[in-house]
Amino acid sequence: MKVIGSLLAAVSAATLLASPAMADKLKIGAAVYGLKAEYMQMWTAALKDHPAVKRGDVAVTVFDGNYNALTQQDQFNTMITQKYDAIIFVPIDAEAGATPVQAAHDAGIPVIGSNTRVHSDLLASYIGSDDVVGGHMEGKSVLDRIGCKGNVVIIEGPIGQSAEIERLEGNKKALAECPNVKVIEDQTANWSRDEAQKLMENWLTAHPGQINGVFGQNDEEALGAIEAIKEAKLNMKDFPTAGIDGISDALRAVKAGELVSILQDAQAQAQGALDLAIFYAKKGDYKPESEIWAHYKDMPWHDGKDKIYNVPWTPVTAANADTLLARRSKLGY
Amino acid sequence: MQDSREVTDSILNRYSRVFELATLQRIAREYGIYLAFVILVVALSFANKYFLTQGNISNVLLQTSINGVLAFGMTFVIITGGIDLSVGSVVALAGIVSASFATTMSVAAAPGGPYPVFVALIVGVLVGVASGAIIGPIVARFNVPPFVATLGMLSAARGLTLIYAGGRPVPALTPQYRWIGTGNVFGVPAPVVIFAALFLISWFVLARTRFGRYVYAVGGNPRAAKTSGISVVRVRFAVYVISGGLAGIAGMLLAARTGSAVTQAGIGYELDAIAAAVIGGVSLSGGVGRVSGALIGALIMGVMNNGLDLMGVESYYQQVLKGMLIVGAVMLDQRGKQG
Repeated sequence: MKVIGSLLAAVSAATLLASPAMADKLKIGAAVYGLKAEYMQMWTAALKDHPAVKRGDVAVTVFDGNYNALTQQDQFNTMITQKYDAIIFVPIDAEAGATPVQAAHDAGIPVIGSNTRVHSDLLASYIGSDDVVGGHMEGKSVLDRIGCKGNVVIIEGPIGQSAEIERLEGNKKALAECPNVKVIEDQTANWSRDEAQKLMENWLTAHPGQINGVFGQNDEEALGAIEAIKEAKLNMKDFPTAGIDGISDALRAVKAGELVSILQDAQAQAQGALDLAIFYAKKGDYKPESEIWAHYKDMPWHDGKDKIYNVPWTPVTAANADTLLARRSKLGY
Repeated sequence: MQDSREVTDSILNRYSRVFELATLQRIAREYGIYLAFVILVVALSFANKYFLTQGNISNVLLQTSINGVLAFGMTFVIITGGIDLSVGSVVALAGIVSASFATTMSVAAAPGGPYPVFVALIVGVLVGVASGAIIGPIVARFNVPPFVATLGMLSAARGLTLIYAGGRPVPALTPQYRWIGTGNVFGVPAPVVIFAALFLISWFVLARTRFGRYVYAVGGNPRAAKTSGISVVRVRFAVYVISGGLAGIAGMLLAARTGSAVTQAGIGYELDAIAAAVIGGVSLSGGVGRVSGALIGALIMGVMNNGLDLMGVESYYQQVLKGMLIVGAVMLDQRGKQG
């Protein structure tokens, strides 16, 4: 027993000696739900643009979850066996995400949530934007422009996805403030531009002259609706439309005066999460380096102690669209 | 006891009834789907007052055009006993490559762009034709089952789309390019004109040319076709090229309609195209089917989607109905064959 004990002590001493050298370069993994759409690509580009990564202090590996909860779980196991120092997690599904978080927690690896929530209290911290607030802001921007009266249509995300549920809750909160406004159609277009375009074409036929405003729960859907309105030779001025996310196509539509988009800041969600991941990997011995903390005065760092960091939404208007597009092209967009 | 006369009468009677039944069944089999289409249209025009308006008819044709074009190509492939699962991904690839020749946004543009619209259009068709020309020999020469070969292309073409565009959309298409999606000819939307032209060409090639007869022969009995001197390899190669080329055109129509080519375009379109062909009586076992059937199949799907949207039926119910329609159409077809 004694021999084994001293062996163990020797091994752990060796590990301790070795670890500072290895800790020179932190190994941080980012498990994201999928890289097919523009938003997560901007997120990834911003992550790799973080000062600590560019300097070479931190090595980040991005795992493409391919929109599959099980793939994400397997990727967690890979990161656990390879002894990553921290994991940033953007789950495809809030419920299914809890299992891999548990596994990483058991292995002593801190997990930082970003962009999409996980139903787990084992996350070290979470940084994202409150979709209820986003849904409320987009609703209000349409309702203000139609003077709080008339009829609106809502183009929803895939039913049951957390962003759809929460944005709809926000939409309804805005509608509750305008009791005279009626929702005459309300269906999903699965975040897709061409599905939304079809839907809007059919609604314009079914309710001629009755639609006064359009809520698209994301920008793709709002842009599809705009195409349908233009195709029907109607005037965009008569159809105040809003979308969420601030994708590049949407920023251009904003500049053309066709849309209001509520920007969800990919850079803040990605770089903020990486700052938190480094902070936890270094057990608190770290000051955040991303410029986003200076940019958002409403989201203080608080010594990395907060459980939830809420990245504020930014309504995109003709006034700030150019600045945002310029910032994006700096990241290669 | 019956006398002879009564016996003759009853026999005659029975024969004439059998005759009538057979005729009815033949009619039902040949034209049942057209009848179903007419019934659907009549029912929907009673259910919603806007359904039979000029604007809505134009909408339905517009919304059917892309699936219809894909279904024509699918019909050629299925008649040879094959299947083309790659068309949805080829829609995205051809759309994004061709759009990059027609965008005014420098970061997304092909070097030296934007090019004149005809260059972008030729590029789009070529991308589709090339993907068919890759699948063709794999199926025809190396005897890889079409399901597998085109499944491989489904994955590879989607990957190439993401690589080519760096995952980003290609927006800001030139007005000339957008015209094929949003313009019109004497009041008829341009995609509908293209759709109609491609229908006529496809119909003519399949129903009126020697090549068309070869396509049926290869699907009906490849061995017999071979012994009668038809190059089975060449016919098989050609149908995938046709399907690919049409998918390329569909991809450009989609990009021009939405104003931006996106990498996620066309996901699941292959299944809608197969469904349209099958609803229209194209048999998955090969040798049987018509381009006009695929047209009606696509129109039925488009009309149903549009009509249910007009009535405010949720899309989840629409999916259930679509499933029932596909299976129902084939059941009808099978009964017709047994009768």
